[in-house]
Amino acid sequence: MSVTAKKFAFCAAALFWSAAPWVPASAQLSDVGDPDAYVEALEEASAAPADSEIRDPWEGFNRRMFAVNDTLDGALIVPTAKAYRAVTHRKQRKGIRNFLANARTPVILVNDLLQGEFKRAGNTLSRFAINTTIGFGGMGDPAERMGIPQHSEDFGQTLAVWGAPSGPYLVLPFFGPSTLRDGFGAGVDVAIDPLTWVRTDPAQYTRFTRAGVTAVSVREPLIEPLQQIEDNSLDYYSSVRSFFLQSRQREIANGRTNFDDLPDIGEFEEFDEIE
Amino acid sequence: MYSTAPARPIVTALFAALAFALFATPALADSEAESYVQTILDEASPALDAPTRAEMLDGIAALVDKHVDMRRVGRFTLGQYARRLSEAQSEAFYPLFQDYATLVYQKTLTEYSGQKLSVTGSVVRSERDVIVNSRIVGAAPGDQFADVVVHWRVYRNRDGEMTIVDAGANNVWLAIEQRSQFTSVIANNGGGEQGIDALIAQLREQVGG
Repeated sequence: MSVTAKKFAFCAAALFWSAAPWVPASAQLSDVGDPDAYVEALEEASAAPADSEIRDPWEGFNRRMFAVNDTLDGALIVPTAKAYRAVTHRKQRKGIRNFLANARTPVILVNDLLQGEFKRAGNTLSRFAINTTIGFGGMGDPAERMGIPQHSEDFGQTLAVWGAPSGPYLVLPFFGPSTLRDGFGAGVDVAIDPLTWVRTDPAQYTRFTRAGVTAVSVREPLIEPLQQIEDNSLDYYSSVRSFFLQSRQREIANGRTNFDDLPDIGEFEEFDEIE
Repeated sequence: MYSTAPARPIVTALFAALAFALFATPALADSEAESYVQTILDEASPALDAPTRAEMLDGIAALVDKHVDMRRVGRFTLGQYARRLSEAQSEAFYPLFQDYATLVYQKTLTEYSGQKLSVTGSVVRSERDVIVNSRIVGAAPGDQFADVVVHWRVYRNRDGEMTIVDAGANNVWLAIEQRSQFTSVIANNGGGEQGIDALIAQLREQVGG
């Protein structure tokens, strides 16, 4: 809280100085040039929320990457996901999702442990033992019915728990929305996965197959929701960015709700004039 | 940062008690806000059960019109640009925003068609800003609604009247997403007056008006 206040005070001071006629703003930031634009940028920075909602300094790159992904998505992934939906039953798709989640156990377990979530690590191990045996190699999820619900973890979340800030929003090729921290975390997760280190042809084949099936399996239930977001939005890119960053925060908090970071809606004095 | 505390332990204790009382209060639930939302959800239930899609959309629109404080939400979605609107831009923006936001509520809420929502609790951010949580009644473990918490953000004005200012599911909020879009559109179209005009034009296109 006090950090935010300090930031705000800093921005306010900077704003004051840059607006002062005896300190030409352009002298300090040569690439900005127009002092008005500089003042505006500072005003916007000081008004920016603390919840990392608009932390997107690489927007130009991200938008290009987003466009590439979107083209690939429309041309290849969505048609494949639709075909996949057409030839499988809902229960089969659920089975495949379960299987893929079960195969991710090592990564989830390591991250549970790194986060000090020992109870959840125990859950991860129990689920693996139960689902791999009486759950037919992970296709079924009897553990869920026994009261051990599924959860996911990744190294990006571990870094967040350790206190690493998310860093700027980042759209990765193929993988889509992420942040600098989570993008790095995804790389570490690949390294954690034992299958990465098995250097045989069948292992290689399995890895690629799994990546492809995962992409389609993840995309399939999102066909309608993402279409709806696209239809509803003026700017698909920033809609996806906001939805991603908002839901990511909840994942990091392991589903525990935290409403403290929400921006205020209409609590300011300036809002009162409209009452 | 004054330090009279060591000399006066009793005063310190009193201050601590006072501070505790002040800061502890917001953690409690707000039953008035909860029952306000439950009333709306009870009204929404027949709308979500409407026999035709058209009737369902009309029902949702009527509820949104009655309970959502569009002026306040609209102002929020403009973020730092809210103060920059000219009078003419305000007159154009707010009605368009109302149409747009209503459309979003309609599309979002029709996903819960045939379902019944019930209030499960609330979190008080401040006396005037309360989050009321609700869940789908009778969602079996494992089905698509089982883990969905639908949030309603209740704003209480100085006279104690309540309105809805935002809605979300599993910590993803609509107005926050709209603000992200709108400020992005404004910034990417030259910011300031030009950007606001661009936003108004895009909203007009989106609502088909």
